[in-house]
Amino acid sequence: MIELREVTKCYKGQTVPAIEKLSLCIDEGEICVLVGPSGCGKSTTLRLINRMIDLSSGTILINGEDILNKDPDQLRRGIGYVIQQIGLLPHRTIGENIAIVPRLYKWPKGKIKERVNQLLTIIGLDPDQTRNKYPSQLSGGQMQRVGVARAMAVDPPIMLMDEPFGAVDPLVRSHLQDEFLRLQEEIKKTIVFVTHDINEAIKMGDKIAIFNEGRLVQFGTPEQILTDPADDFVENFIGHDRVVRMLSLYRAEEAARKRVCVVRDNELAGLAGELREAGTGVAFIIDAGGGPLGYVTEEESTAVSGPERLKAVAAARRKAFVQANTPLPDALSILLEYDLDWLGVLQGKSLCGALSFKDIQRHVYRREGE
Amino acid sequence: MTWADLFNFVTGNASTIRRYSETHFILVLETVIVSLILWVPLGLLLSKSDKWAGRVMALANLIFCIPSLSLFAIFVTIPGLGLGRRSSLLALVLYAMMPLLRNVYDGVKNVDRSVIEAAKGMGMSEAGIIREIRFPLGLPVIFAGFRITVVMTTGMATIASFIGEQNLGRFITNGMVRNNTEMLVTGAVLISVIAVVLDTILGLLEKGLIPRGLRLRR
Repeated sequence: MIELREVTKCYKGQTVPAIEKLSLCIDEGEICVLVGPSGCGKSTTLRLINRMIDLSSGTILINGEDILNKDPDQLRRGIGYVIQQIGLLPHRTIGENIAIVPRLYKWPKGKIKERVNQLLTIIGLDPDQTRNKYPSQLSGGQMQRVGVARAMAVDPPIMLMDEPFGAVDPLVRSHLQDEFLRLQEEIKKTIVFVTHDINEAIKMGDKIAIFNEGRLVQFGTPEQILTDPADDFVENFIGHDRVVRMLSLYRAEEAARKRVCVVRDNELAGLAGELREAGTGVAFIIDAGGGPLGYVTEEESTAVSGPERLKAVAAARRKAFVQANTPLPDALSILLEYDLDWLGVLQGKSLCGALSFKDIQRHVYRREGE
Repeated sequence: MTWADLFNFVTGNASTIRRYSETHFILVLETVIVSLILWVPLGLLLSKSDKWAGRVMALANLIFCIPSLSLFAIFVTIPGLGLGRRSSLLALVLYAMMPLLRNVYDGVKNVDRSVIEAAKGMGMSEAGIIREIRFPLGLPVIFAGFRITVVMTTGMATIASFIGEQNLGRFITNGMVRNNTEMLVTGAVLISVIAVVLDTILGLLEKGLIPRGLRLRR
């Protein structure tokens, strides 16, 4: 747990403090995102925690221990640190870069090598191919991954990340974010994450701390921040179309429910019974060749009698299908355009999920629901 | 002067040429060694303090501005130095201060800040950062300064012949005074050849010294 008490930082020669009387508590295993416009003190706060800069007054405690009581180098070795520019050593191989902190801890060679291979595998790079490459031989996204792996090398309980995905294009960034969130599920680190992008904050944060002009304006879960902005600044900072913009971070398959009821168009006679048994509320109808035809809801299956008429109901909804990698805004657009309640999510030609308004809504707020 | 005259001079004075070349080369070697011992560590040290770096660089600059012959002359008058090796060595080492110290300082100081920031953030010590990051990454710039120093010293050592150095510079000064073209040409060509050969060797060495990761491109 990281606790900041009344922390103030004044830079030399400046009358206005960079941050003033900041108190903040970051719980174990949580991602706390510090967000705000540039110059708001978010990076300063991050850098105070591993003593890259020293505070002017106040106290910072890590697991109850004052950070000023520890040797700065020792302190930093125990905290993972990722910066936007990554800062990989260009004259060292990827393997050597990841091994920096283990080497500072004087791990035996075999253990270091094993750990490097393990980390490369975790971040999705082939150890044998990547280990001996140099940073200049990797893509931006790969370098960011290596930066994260390097910070995790000795498995520190705390990680500080200063705009770690800021330098890559939006698609790669979104991918790295997803990857990191998946990883965090397993590693459960205490993470302080700085960004200026509110969308990233909402996506990554268990808690969000919004900064403005050196002060903490609001601290809470993304849901609290989205539903109850503390003041005009927060409201403006979040933006009014925030939720709609958030949709573009996701793809149809991510929001889709995986349990679906699929029925061949020549087996429509027992549809009502089958739907009751499946409990999915909707059945997707496929033709003899396995191609998607449409859907029938549970109410329709009891209200409409006769397989032929049911088939006609389904066939009127030929448009009710999207591919798994369709961005969520496109899927939503189709739902609205054709006045549909359901979309079938296709992987190639076969159905892999179903999507309704409710699913999209739930997906957008899934973090708050947890 | 004909080719035959030159040939006769060279064969007739082979032992003197060898002796002069040797003293010339040794003076250059001594200067370079002393300069490396003094200026490289000082340059690394200065990377820690901008204030002192400014002061020392200004001094190096000042010394570099003094014409070499004047500097040699000044040292000759100082008791304990006098004519000969001590004065010339000291003057050459002080001249080397400017190119070598400046390049060492610039080399280690201009390393990508984010690399230093990341290394510091991972808990690498100040000394570790200089040893493992600043120095190897500054090496191309440092080595460039080293090459300039060696070539410059080779040329400037000829002037030390005015204060009693028995080296190839002697051929040039004596050749001029005695109107002996063979002597003059022998000295001038040999010095040039030595300078070019040294620079070429160092150029080859440089290629091998620059860290592999800096040479690679995707």
